[in-house]
Amino acid sequence: MSTTTTNTSRTAPATSSLAASSKFKTFATVFSITGPVVYCVVQFLNWPLVTFWPATDRLVWGYEGARAGEGPNMLWYGWTLTTILVAAALGIIAMMLPERITNRIPLSLIWIFPILAIPYVIYSLMPWWTLAASH
Amino acid sequence: MTSWISTNTFWTLWLFAHLILAVGLLGALTHQAMAVALPVHQPAGGIVTRFRAVPAAGYATAVCVLWVLTYIVGSYIYTKYRIYIRIPLEAAHYYKTGGFFDFKEHVATIGLVLLPAYWYFWKNAQDPQYDNARKGVTLVLAAMCWFLFIVGHVLNNTRGFGS
Repeated sequence: MSTTTTNTSRTAPATSSLAASSKFKTFATVFSITGPVVYCVVQFLNWPLVTFWPATDRLVWGYEGARAGEGPNMLWYGWTLTTILVAAALGIIAMMLPERITNRIPLSLIWIFPILAIPYVIYSLMPWWTLAASH
Repeated sequence: MTSWISTNTFWTLWLFAHLILAVGLLGALTHQAMAVALPVHQPAGGIVTRFRAVPAAGYATAVCVLWVLTYIVGSYIYTKYRIYIRIPLEAAHYYKTGGFFDFKEHVATIGLVLLPAYWYFWKNAQDPQYDNARKGVTLVLAAMCWFLFIVGHVLNNTRGFGS
């Protein structure tokens, strides 16, 4: 016995107001296109919104470098928060643009930029690879 | 909480929760990626065809929720990783392992920011103008998820449960 299936990727037209909103489409696409780029820039410039000190459970605004007796700092939370805020701001700005402009944004950038971000991420971790090569 | 269970058990349970969420996410994204990469157009036969024949659009919201939950739980246990796992790894010269964990954290965030567009494209899956972008972003997210899962698994084998 065999069951018949067809292409299962398609569904009925979007019914939720968010999925049917052209403004949300602009926000979502700009947020997701700029997000990986913003993350790489934020990490390169070291602009964390917050710095967390796990040994003392201390959270401070912005970047805070090494301090005696506090253990290691964690910047990743801060980089992520900065990225979300900047990408969201860019998405909101894009929502204010006319649709004839936002409709021209190439949607393929959504998967191209994350792939292009990977070589930079690997490069940014060079201290780890250098240490690994020397031991 | 730690008066009921030991600190080790507490963090092991969170690590386990992270694993369970990750397995769910991996399964959903792999089904979806197979459905977009190799869509089924003819009668379903073997297990591989049936694996590809899932109603892929129905997974979108679940994938977003699971990615965010896995991310939040991972972020929570990351604080302990930084002190109790990474420092011993560095002391033992496991630099590649440490480097791959940092690689994992970056990939997880890059995947996180893709979710709004991913969700929108799947909620409008009837619109052919989004087909290529939807396929591309789904395959990228699935590849990222497999990478995150494998690195997490190897790291856990290096110094995870019970350490």
